[in-house]
Amino acid sequence: MSDPAPSGEPLFELPAELAIDTGVARRVIAEFIRGQLRQAGFERAVLGLSGGIDSSLVAYLTAEAIGPERLLCVLMPYRTSSPASRSDAEEVVRRLGCHSTVVDITPMVDGYFGRPAEGGGPAVLGALGAAGLEASPLRRGNFAARTRMAVLYDHSVTFGGLVVGTGNKTETLIGYTTVFGDNACAFNPIGDLYKSQVRQLAVAVGVPEQIIRKAPSADLWPGQTDEGEAGFSYPVLDRLLYWMIDRRRSHDELVAMGFERAMVERVERMVAASEFKRQVPPIAKLGPRTAGVDYLYPRRRPGSART
Amino acid sequence: MQPTALRIALAQIAPRLGQLEANLARHLELVEAAREQGAGLVVFPELGLTGYLLQDLAADVALRLDDPRLGRLVAASRDLSVVASFVEESADHRLFIAAALLEDGRIVHVHRKCYLPTYGLFDERRFFAAGDAIRAVPSRLGVGVGLAVCEDFWHLAVPALLALDGAQLLVNVSSSPGRDLAATNEVGLGTAASWRTLMRTYAQLTTSFIVYCNRVGVDESISFWGGSEVIAPSGAPVFTAPLYDEGLYCVDVDLADVRRERIALPLLRDERPELVVRELERIIAERAGLAVDTTGEVGPEGVDLHAGLPPPGRSRR
Repeated sequence: MSDPAPSGEPLFELPAELAIDTGVARRVIAEFIRGQLRQAGFERAVLGLSGGIDSSLVAYLTAEAIGPERLLCVLMPYRTSSPASRSDAEEVVRRLGCHSTVVDITPMVDGYFGRPAEGGGPAVLGALGAAGLEASPLRRGNFAARTRMAVLYDHSVTFGGLVVGTGNKTETLIGYTTVFGDNACAFNPIGDLYKSQVRQLAVAVGVPEQIIRKAPSADLWPGQTDEGEAGFSYPVLDRLLYWMIDRRRSHDELVAMGFERAMVERVERMVAASEFKRQVPPIAKLGPRTAGVDYLYPRRRPGSART
Repeated sequence: MQPTALRIALAQIAPRLGQLEANLARHLELVEAAREQGAGLVVFPELGLTGYLLQDLAADVALRLDDPRLGRLVAASRDLSVVASFVEESADHRLFIAAALLEDGRIVHVHRKCYLPTYGLFDERRFFAAGDAIRAVPSRLGVGVGLAVCEDFWHLAVPALLALDGAQLLVNVSSSPGRDLAATNEVGLGTAASWRTLMRTYAQLTTSFIVYCNRVGVDESISFWGGSEVIAPSGAPVFTAPLYDEGLYCVDVDLADVRRERIALPLLRDERPELVVRELERIIAERAGLAVDTTGEVGPEGVDLHAGLPPPGRSRR
């Protein structure tokens, strides 16, 4: 099943069992965003806008919930970031009429790892010295994600807004996130939506078509795409996760449904190996009452709102 | 003869979590608004006075039945009936999720939630004690009233017992978290579709009015979907409130519909409580291993599930 674009051409593939009622979803999410802010004593929100579909959708949903005048989108490109991402993000800001600011994180990231020699110029060493130049793309990507988190939380103070999360359910379940990086937020309105559902909702709220069409990418290095890196397509991965997690199908039942055994095994490993990314770190139980163990209060309780 | 026309006001509100005073003020305001609109019965949702996801806050907002704060709401029930819900602390300091029927400035009945969901997204049994009684009570409305709280209605016996005990108006107050947005759902929300099936079925099978009041708003991750309803004894919906919209919704019913339905469809007349209780006693004994289980599942070969009692039809080794 596919959602037809206005032109009649399918924008993306939507597995039938994943199709949601987007009207109800928008209603629930708008109330959720307003409730989270009100209960914390905030009226404004901040998010990192990459120009990808996840953060663009959250920008639209947040603007819909509280008005664009209360939303700050922070664009945080690195020197290798795709210029198309930047222009897509600017298009979202232009269409929504929300606040925006650009923080180039290149000096922060390169200040740590250094910058390799290029174009005949010498290498520039960072805080790690010569060793920093050898850092793997994974380390650099994680550091960039955590740098963006630090920039966002700083803007949370200056703009007076809570940081809105933009991670989706698919990447959260397989652990395709940087812990304390892109998964850091005050609340997340789309963390229970698979990528296919993000696309469906993005169409419903009017996210620009080129953002919905382009291949999803963490844009941590040039040419990187999620599906290229993971080795499977989102519609298939979303379906597998849906039947595995939401519908509790066993390994053998999934294979009998037609999923490749090797893929089922690999995804099961990814889900299990990333459990730590989805949970609050455990505290050693020593005293009579321990946060998260037997001291259990709602995050938002009388007195918890900023005054 | 008492008039049978009744205006029911459904207070589909969004309680503030843990803010008893603010919620009480809202209740008092809405009782007066309902009175001005001519309502004879005002129904508030489960834990409307405290919010739902209390966890350890439950002890902080618990009320004894003689608490003066509750007294203010009780006093507001002059000349009309109010169903309100809160955390009740008993004399021996157990905490219950309670729903009370308040009439003419008195607490007429307190129902303590009997079934506490502790699975999936629910964790009620950790924080609350379960009630032990299901009773219908006479009401100034001229019909018996039965109260139930949310999950109580996911157990068939509850509406059946209330109707057998004399209720003609069954009130369920809920804090039902909405989930499952699959586009294939009848109303865009799986939870709403399930509840609607239950309430129409119960109304029809008990030939009673069902009044369902569910909250709206957000506690932490969960959103409550509203969709409060009144269902006629025929199973036909009289009124369905919008999903997610806060509001005081007034619904007019004719309580004489109960008599008409029960004459035409005498299901309650034909109920066999003595048959049910006999079969239940047998099942309880069998489940406890005190009687031979004639219908239960057969265990693995050679394993005796009921010590000392050979399953019939199989030779013991």
